[in-house]
Amino acid sequence: MWDAFITFMINILLYIYNLVGQNFGLAIILFTILVRLLMYPLTARQVKSSKAMQDLQKSKKWQDIQKKYKDDKEKLAQKQMEVYQEMGISPFGSCLPLLLQFPIIIGLYQAIIRTLAVTPVQLVNLSKHINDGAQLIPINSQFLWMELSEPERLQIFGIGVPILAILVVITSYIQTKMVSTSAPGDDGGQGAQMSQAMSLYMPFFMGYLALTFASGLALYFIATNLTTIAQYVILGQADFKNLIPNFSSS
Amino acid sequence: MTTIEKETIHMKKYLILILVILTLSITASACSGRRLTASGWPGLNTDQDTAYLAAGQHVYAVNLENGTLRWKYPPEADNDVTFFGAPGLTDDGQLIVTSYNSNIYSLDPDTGNENWSYTEAEERFISGSLVTSQGIFTGSADHNLYALDFQGNQLWPPFETQEQIWALPNTTGDCDCVYLASMDHHLYVINIDDGSLRWQTEDLGGPIVSKPTLSENNTVFVSTFANEILAIDPDEHDVLWRFETKDWAWASPVPDGDQVYASDLSGTFYALNQETGELEWQIQPGGRIVSAPLITEEMIYFGTDEGSFILTSKDGTIQRNQTLEGKLYTSPVHAGDLILVAPTDNESLLIAYGEDGVKRWDFSPSE
Repeated sequence: MWDAFITFMINILLYIYNLVGQNFGLAIILFTILVRLLMYPLTARQVKSSKAMQDLQKSKKWQDIQKKYKDDKEKLAQKQMEVYQEMGISPFGSCLPLLLQFPIIIGLYQAIIRTLAVTPVQLVNLSKHINDGAQLIPINSQFLWMELSEPERLQIFGIGVPILAILVVITSYIQTKMVSTSAPGDDGGQGAQMSQAMSLYMPFFMGYLALTFASGLALYFIATNLTTIAQYVILGQADFKNLIPNFSSS
Repeated sequence: MTTIEKETIHMKKYLILILVILTLSITASACSGRRLTASGWPGLNTDQDTAYLAAGQHVYAVNLENGTLRWKYPPEADNDVTFFGAPGLTDDGQLIVTSYNSNIYSLDPDTGNENWSYTEAEERFISGSLVTSQGIFTGSADHNLYALDFQGNQLWPPFETQEQIWALPNTTGDCDCVYLASMDHHLYVINIDDGSLRWQTEDLGGPIVSKPTLSENNTVFVSTFANEILAIDPDEHDVLWRFETKDWAWASPVPDGDQVYASDLSGTFYALNQETGELEWQIQPGGRIVSAPLITEEMIYFGTDEGSFILTSKDGTIQRNQTLEGKLYTSPVHAGDLILVAPTDNESLLIAYGEDGVKRWDFSPSE
């Protein structure tokens, strides 16, 4: 089942690669955008659900319940569930779309890495997934100054600068900050701290991966980050204030 | 904010964190796209008493009598240096090995000491070297064929093709030429004296990654990823016949007697009429076939990526089908009365069988 899914993804990637004049860098970018666009309904649903949850928590009715039953946790939970049902909101409503997106994202990543077959074993493995693309082998993995199967460095005055890794850190930071939401009352608690820590560590972790592994992976990270940012902007959920640490509400 | 509410928010954040870590773990663990990940299969050659095995971070010299290690090169592993091309032996007593770090090394076959290295190539060497009395010839993933003398100096400027070269070049004793197959779909015939192009084929329809082979009557055979085995007349420069396979034809076709034996990635092994290309028989024992068969006087030996080591008679009757742990990507090699098999993903790097198929010894790198 998973293999069939990867085969499907690889063949679409190769189709795009052929369509854009056998430019694998462009194919990665377009393929990532395409997959993200196809996942847009899930993303929109996730965002909508998060927003509804936030609005609910800001509402007078919700605040009144908190005050009224603050000393009776069981009753409070029961009332909260009633409000959830009344408003048609599931407290985990934003998790399901997120869960559905993960296999697609992993599949997208694996399709890119498997297609960048540069050694005999990798090519033997890739051949299992290619239906009708032998003519496209070997994949042209040169893109701009990059060899997509290798870690990227741009030589500037004799120094190898990891441009892509830097872009991955920047776009990951922007993406994490812009799309992070905070709930009312979540003011410096464990969740907020974790969120804060994640928004700092994740970009560097992604940057480390981009620095160390094939630059095709870094290109995919950047395309993913930029597409996600664009989707949140379109949905009106991007919070530019969060980019500046002092104004961060989390 | 209530405890339940906070717990809900925290649970969602934990869930997101776990999913992100899980995703990154899965993706990072699958980062096989890293350039220096060694993912070839062992290259094997022998002289009278030693097997030379290029297998990852070392080249091993193994005593053919009992499977013990004579030496390994380099003594200490280097993550940036891996060897997979079949080592070549020169008449003046050098062992030539190629590396994924784009270098060619000359070693002393008795001690494993390095004589010289050639470091001018820009990309990895997938195959080993063709060694003739005139020099050392090696194709690189940087699209070039390199020709060296026995001191490691260039004989002539690199011969450039349009794509990567993974195939071992070949020659015949009397042509004074090198047959070179490239992933650019062409077979080139190059003058061995000066590296000039003598002639080249038309586009053969697909990438070629294995050695072109030659029959006694001077027909050239190639396998292509366009699911074809081709016979080419090197005098008239014509394609004599084409045989359609079920999948990519990776392994070199091997001419023997009136037949040529070929295979493809569907795992089908074919015996074709050498003159006409007509199918005489085929078997499909299970698993994909990427290596050329070993043909002895009586029998045919080949392996599959499901670990099947097949011994068949020349009429296609399977005499023995032995399953080994791992994958058999490397062609079996005949050494005296032994058949040597170098499996991939097996604890043993080298296994020696008698011609009857009975195991004599095996070699593990820890020895």
